[in-house]
Amino acid sequence: MSLFTCAREREVTDLLHKGHWPQACSEELRAHVASCRGCSDLVLITESLQASRRQTAELPRLEPAGAIWWRAQLRRRNAAIDQMSRPIIGAQIFALAMSVIVIGAIAIWQADNWSAWFADLPTTLHLDALIPSSSPESGILWIIVPVLATIALLSGIVVYLASEKQ
Amino acid sequence: MSWESIIPNVLAGESPPLAGTTPAAAMDNEQFAAFYARSARSLWAYLARVSRDPALADDLTQEAYVRFLCAHHPEDGEVAARRYLFKIATNLLRDHWRRPQSSSIDEIPEHIFALSSGETQSDSIAMLAPAMAQMRPRDRQLLWLAYAEGYSHHEIAQITGLASASIRLLLFRARRKMARLLRTGGQA
Repeated sequence: MSLFTCAREREVTDLLHKGHWPQACSEELRAHVASCRGCSDLVLITESLQASRRQTAELPRLEPAGAIWWRAQLRRRNAAIDQMSRPIIGAQIFALAMSVIVIGAIAIWQADNWSAWFADLPTTLHLDALIPSSSPESGILWIIVPVLATIALLSGIVVYLASEKQ
Repeated sequence: MSWESIIPNVLAGESPPLAGTTPAAAMDNEQFAAFYARSARSLWAYLARVSRDPALADDLTQEAYVRFLCAHHPEDGEVAARRYLFKIATNLLRDHWRRPQSSSIDEIPEHIFALSSGETQSDSIAMLAPAMAQMRPRDRQLLWLAYAEGYSHHEIAQITGLASASIRLLLFRARRKMARLLRTGGQA
């Protein structure tokens, strides 16, 4: 007999799980269980819990197996798609970062040319006709910059809406 | 057309399965339905009795099966699959208890488990509910797995993640306390 269990506990456990307790066991074992605290605890608890298990198992209204199967398929598919799209998202972020860096570098490198190009832009687009002759020379920028900003904003919205639809 | 044919070899690209394991999805729909029919009620009973919350047991039973189907489990037949299912359910219960609760699980009324009219309850079952209510969740888990499901200490250790050596002592204490509560009608 160990510190926690009676030597006959295994025997009693087997009988309980096979459903042989108490009819299919010896009188001597029944007498032992009646006198052994460990074994009587074991019988009391096992019988209570097994009866409770039988009773409780009748209660649930289980979801159909097909619905669970379908949910699992859906989850596996979503996990697979997530896993597949992870490198694509990484590549997109990398491409965007590289583009920003290259555009920034070109903008800095060509800063003088850009300012000259901007200065010539009203003349090239014949915007002089739209500007009152009394307005200062820098006033032209107050028209061009909002127009370009509006075009950029609208382009962003179009791209966002197009990607949302996908 | 199935999604596997649209996205070929996607699952093959997932984390490689462990040696001796197979995806539960290798089980076909009918095999799963048969396995579900044989195991779902006992899993629900385990979750409901340990959590003392039938609604939670409903949710966790479904989630346990979905995770089971998505996972790789040991190729040791139905007994191992069932044990694996109980392990998933035990982990889900543990996660649930770790989350901040809006209400205590001890507030769930036990009358939910009462028998319908016409059925009879033995004294020990009638006293089981108040006795279980006074046990700690872990003790309820251990007692249910050992005495209602008939798992060995080694199997309980696999399911709960506790050390195999400590199961014997924990079960001994839980059993002694439970027996005392059952004999005194749930009075501590």
